Amino acid sequence: MKLTVHTPPEVPLEAEILSPTSLAGLSEAEVSALIVHHGNRKEALGEFFSVNGKMNGRLELEGDLSFVKLIGQGMADGEMFIEGNVSGHLGCGMSGGRIVLNGDAQDWVGEDMTGGSITINGNAGHMVGSGVRGAEQGMLGGEIFVRGNCKNEAGGAMRRGLVAIGGNSGDFTGLNMVAGTVIVLGEMGIRTGSNMKRGSVISMNPARMIPSFSYSCTYQPIFLRFYLNYLRDVGFEIDDAWLNGSYQRWCGDAISLNKGEVLLYQS
Amino acid sequence: MDSSVAAEPNIRVVKNATCTFCGCVCDDMELTVDLDQKRITKAKNACVLGKAWFAEHSVDESRPVAMIEGKEVSLDEAIDEAAKILVNARFPVIYGMSNSTSEAQRETVKMADLLSANVDSTSSVCHGPTGMGLQGVGEPTTTLGEVKNRADMIVYWGCNPSDCHPRLSTHYAVNPKGMYIPNGRKDRTVINVDVRSTTTTNIADVFVQVKPGSDFELLWGLRILVRGGKLNPAFEEQTGVPIDVIENLASRLMSCNYGILFFGMGLTMTRGRHYNASALHMLATDLNEHTHFVVKPARGHGNVTGADTVMSWQTGYPFGINFNRGYPRHEPGEFTTTDIMCRGEADAACIIASDPMANFAKPAIDHMKKIPMISFDPKPTPTSQAARVAFTTACYGINTPGTVYRMDDIPIPLRPAFESPFPSDLDILKPLVKRIRELKRAQY
Repeated sequence: MKLTVHTPPEVPLEAEILSPTSLAGLSEAEVSALIVHHGNRKEALGEFFSVNGKMNGRLELEGDLSFVKLIGQGMADGEMFIEGNVSGHLGCGMSGGRIVLNGDAQDWVGEDMTGGSITINGNAGHMVGSGVRGAEQGMLGGEIFVRGNCKNEAGGAMRRGLVAIGGNSGDFTGLNMVAGTVIVLGEMGIRTGSNMKRGSVISMNPARMIPSFSYSCTYQPIFLRFYLNYLRDVGFEIDDAWLNGSYQRWCGDAISLNKGEVLLYQS
Repeated sequence: MDSSVAAEPNIRVVKNATCTFCGCVCDDMELTVDLDQKRITKAKNACVLGKAWFAEHSVDESRPVAMIEGKEVSLDEAIDEAAKILVNARFPVIYGMSNSTSEAQRETVKMADLLSANVDSTSSVCHGPTGMGLQGVGEPTTTLGEVKNRADMIVYWGCNPSDCHPRLSTHYAVNPKGMYIPNGRKDRTVINVDVRSTTTTNIADVFVQVKPGSDFELLWGLRILVRGGKLNPAFEEQTGVPIDVIENLASRLMSCNYGILFFGMGLTMTRGRHYNASALHMLATDLNEHTHFVVKPARGHGNVTGADTVMSWQTGYPFGINFNRGYPRHEPGEFTTTDIMCRGEADAACIIASDPMANFAKPAIDHMKKIPMISFDPKPTPTSQAARVAFTTACYGINTPGTVYRMDDIPIPLRPAFESPFPSDLDILKPLVKRIRELKRAQY
């Protein structure tokens, strides 16, 4: 099924029903009649989108989606392809299926997700794969791939899963991490891994570590080859030198469990 | 307790009046008011800021009570127009409230609920990160009375109360004698942590100068020491503070009887924001393993604490609240006004007792110029001048009674000095809410 924006919303549109899971088994007319929240009004989806085709597990979205929030919320299966920039909370709480976005996403991509994968062929905002504020754990599984840059707190409080950033990440990458893996191919901001318990944050560039991290050794982690080859398979540009390279291993955060690691590519 | 005594025919003396300039909300003012000129001629007990606040407040009776598109109209016409703007909006944003009474704040939250609007206070560009920080780690809190009577260790971190809250030191925290602090200043240690020396440094026993933007690292270092760890040389490199100074600071903090950490924008509005505030709260929690330690943000506007408090007990959240779906949701960054305006999402705004057109980011101001705005302000401001509907209001504390919250969440009653010809925020909000309700009923 393909949904194309014919009238862009004037104010934020909360459309959590936009996922293959929610639309499964519905006809064009039924999808058009579904209720979305346009600011403080309830309106029919058909007021903004023209709906074409049959729903067979694949949903395509196209047009000016820059005010559309919560796309793919709670998605459990199927595939969704999105052309254009989207607003916040893309794929939040999703448990399965696949989202591919050709454009930029705002904050909270994959917030609290437990499974599935999100690929963003553009930039993402703050809190990629993060938990809601104040929560002890965020992302519990699944994969988030961002080809471009992301902002602060990527992988905040994540418990399992993979977040891969092709460009640069902002400050506090891997903040409060409980476990899981964050890979940043570009540069990271400051205060990486603050308060992390366990988990791995990996970057291909030098980074200023907070002093509560201690340098452990420089080594060639075998496991990283598998990750990097996997990222190459999903379309990231991986330098051959990274596959067999040496990485500095920093342990932290001493203020917390001190069982986390930050690996920084050296040569 | 009648506090007004006629001293001379046209002079009124108001005892125990409350100053609403800053978050200290000192309630021991003695105001001498010239009723003919409608001016406060003397403000006994006020600090330099309070004196200016009272002395420079005059009422310009020639100003219209309400304007639409800059033209004078009656109050009823303006209320009707404001109600229509708000009811027709799909994403109305209500912002401000920090210089208003808690009674008006309560009515504002009611209005936001009724309109399914977004409601936010000036906290979001001030101590909002403090609210976000403490949500994750908890808040070891106190009142200023407790500080006066018990605190033997005062830390001013990233704030300059000698200039911004002059009576915080002289009236509450540093100089006064208290129940367990019989010798006042002599029994207390004052520590100032900042990126440069300020007038507060002059009253401090210890000054720790930290490199700009590295407060978080210093707080992290202190936490390690308080938890029994050791520091590596990188702490000195990154914070610019020698290791022995950090160690000395940690041992002083651990060995006091009752310590308080006051902090300001130096933490909440520098890189790291809510995580700086959160690190400070975590430090206080760690220190409670050794002694009693509490944290208090040094709040700026007179009733910004009230805005947080009122919104918290009405909606469950302190700021950045959205009612679009009929129930309150809180998300800083998503529902905070400056972010909403920068993304161009709002289609109407109601600004109560604040001036975002003068201090928001440029993209936010550009968007606010495009949408219909309603402003409540005692004086002409860039916001009131850009507003489609502008109300002239009476000044809270000076002209109108009500309640304000001190920075330690203590409600304090106001004792106004003289009457204003203009209505208070609450006097306008009540009929506005009534009119909104009528229009909403007519819609369904």
